[in-house]
Amino acid sequence: MSREGSVVERVIAFCRVLRERGLVVTPAESVDAVRLLEWIDLSDRIELHLALRSLLATRREDLAAFDALFAEWWRVSQQEEQRSRDRASAPKTRLGAREEAKSENAATVALSRWSSTSVVPDDDTPASLAMPSANDSRAKKDFATFDSDELGEIERLTRLIARRINARRSRRWKPARGGNSSRVDLRRTIRLSLKTGGNIVELARRERKLRRTKLVALCDVSGSMDLYSRFLLQFLYALQHAFARVETFVFSTRLVSISEILRRDEYRAALAALARSETGWSGGTKIGASIAQFATDWSRLVDRRTVVIILSDGWDTGDPTLLGDAMREIHRRAGRVLWLNPLLGSPSYKPLTRGMQAALPHVDVFAPAHNVASLAALGRHLGL
Amino acid sequence: MREEIARLHDAMEREAYVTDRAMATAAYLAMTLHKPLLIEGHPGVGKTEVAKVLARALDAKLIRLQCYEGLDVSTALYEWNYAKQLLHIKLQEGTAATTREREAEIFSREFLLERPLLHAITQADASPVLLVDEVDRSDEEFEAFLLEVLSDHQVTIPEIGTVRATHPPHVVLTSNRTRELSEALRRRCLYLWVDYPSYEKELRIVRMKVPGIEPRLADEVVRFIQRVRTRRLSKTPGVAESLDWAQALVALGADALDTDVVDETLGCVLKDEADLRDIRSAVDKSGVDAFVAGGAA
Repeated sequence: MSREGSVVERVIAFCRVLRERGLVVTPAESVDAVRLLEWIDLSDRIELHLALRSLLATRREDLAAFDALFAEWWRVSQQEEQRSRDRASAPKTRLGAREEAKSENAATVALSRWSSTSVVPDDDTPASLAMPSANDSRAKKDFATFDSDELGEIERLTRLIARRINARRSRRWKPARGGNSSRVDLRRTIRLSLKTGGNIVELARRERKLRRTKLVALCDVSGSMDLYSRFLLQFLYALQHAFARVETFVFSTRLVSISEILRRDEYRAALAALARSETGWSGGTKIGASIAQFATDWSRLVDRRTVVIILSDGWDTGDPTLLGDAMREIHRRAGRVLWLNPLLGSPSYKPLTRGMQAALPHVDVFAPAHNVASLAALGRHLGL
Repeated sequence: MREEIARLHDAMEREAYVTDRAMATAAYLAMTLHKPLLIEGHPGVGKTEVAKVLARALDAKLIRLQCYEGLDVSTALYEWNYAKQLLHIKLQEGTAATTREREAEIFSREFLLERPLLHAITQADASPVLLVDEVDRSDEEFEAFLLEVLSDHQVTIPEIGTVRATHPPHVVLTSNRTRELSEALRRRCLYLWVDYPSYEKELRIVRMKVPGIEPRLADEVVRFIQRVRTRRLSKTPGVAESLDWAQALVALGADALDTDVVDETLGCVLKDEADLRDIRSAVDKSGVDAFVAGGAA
């Protein structure tokens, strides 16, 4: 096997490992990776590293994982190369052949170990968040016990809300028949005028396209929210199906994105998957840490066209300034921030918890969310 | 190191841009593989500058498309010159031309206003550098459209037909990550993440860009900024802020940082009222040296 050939094979194997580890590396990228080899100095480890990284790790979050995997791959590759050199120079004895078989085996073991274990340190997540906390109760909850009438009502309501959000005007144009909101479309008007010798008889019109608002929902599923969170989850599920641009997270002691799970068609399947996933369901509450995690890791989801909805009772066991700072950051970027507090439905409730106090200055709408009626009232806050 | 990469690195350095190997390698590969280069990083770390420097280093024309919300095809690609079309129709009045002929005439290249994207693929002599700045500020629809243009280097105008690039542009996209870009766009690009510079790199940048600065002041400015970046702020200062500050200090004739000077000029560095208050009080409490050393909490 030529040296060039072995490099190509190893690069393709490396692409496969990256893919297994969750990086988006399609066969097209593998081809590009091989194509790239002829343009760089293969004996220069740093150059190979930088070149492959610029092609194969296309988001910042992937860089650390890529670096770790590359280091491992390089090490294994060097060993292999060394062995093949030894093999070529040393005369084969029976003992040598056995040694060789053994070391080949070791390399295979190393490769498979390397593709299955988690050698990748996750720099962005503090150690305390990566491990489930002692309060995390991971009881397998059966979500499938909801009243189906209630579910239907929520779905209908959500569709109404979604239509309302979608009925906003964007800055983009499309041809129109007429109407108050349309304007003259010069391009089409001139084309039409040709029929009448350049005299403008008929005006073509255009109007703004409908504008789409995005929603990001952060739902508290800690123990204190237990009575409401399943109910709110139905709302989020329905919302996500009625309205494509929703990102949904749940948190108790840490933040978990559940958009993918909710996107599945079958409601019960989604619930079952949620029960299996380790979302820290009904555990303790660290609102501040969870919201701060959202503000640092997911802020790119939030812009001026985004409505951020936080569903929580505000019972936080963490540092209130952490929550306040995170809320300020989110509020700065978002079009609107809604805090839905189920406790607000009770007349005697006052938002005096330290967490709530820290968050309130950075909230545009503070509203109840304890029954269907309060969700219906929500519709008018959601359009931007 | 491949010689061509080293040469590109040196060429960029000559254009007064402090470059590193990752940047030179990515830029070189983007050109040889004809892939767009997507540069992400915090605001003010010099992402846009890469395209400008690259254009100068290659002696190529720089064409810039600034993205914003609502950017559409008529601003990015082409627009018909309506006034000219109307005038032409009037001038043609009374001639024997049929409607079809007249239509063909006024919807020809002559009446087309080229916007940056079309301009970038119609260069006759050499490949230009196309800078698509802050692509995260455009919307998803535009991103999809951009992807089409970038992957084929061609554009179809209904009235004229397909315009194909004879000299495909070198494309540089920048993003501040205010919005997540699509997977399709990412996959099409080479990726470069530009972080805040290290102390050594930033010192080189300051001394290169602010030639009149005393070595001691440059050192103090960079140390101070590096320290500020370790704190949790709502707007962390970028390299642009370091340079503004250094320039302001030189203009004021300061030769070292002290509490008063910092107090007066900190507005160059911090653009948020709460951040400004936070850092000012920390500096007032402990003094500049202790703040930089990390004594102030």
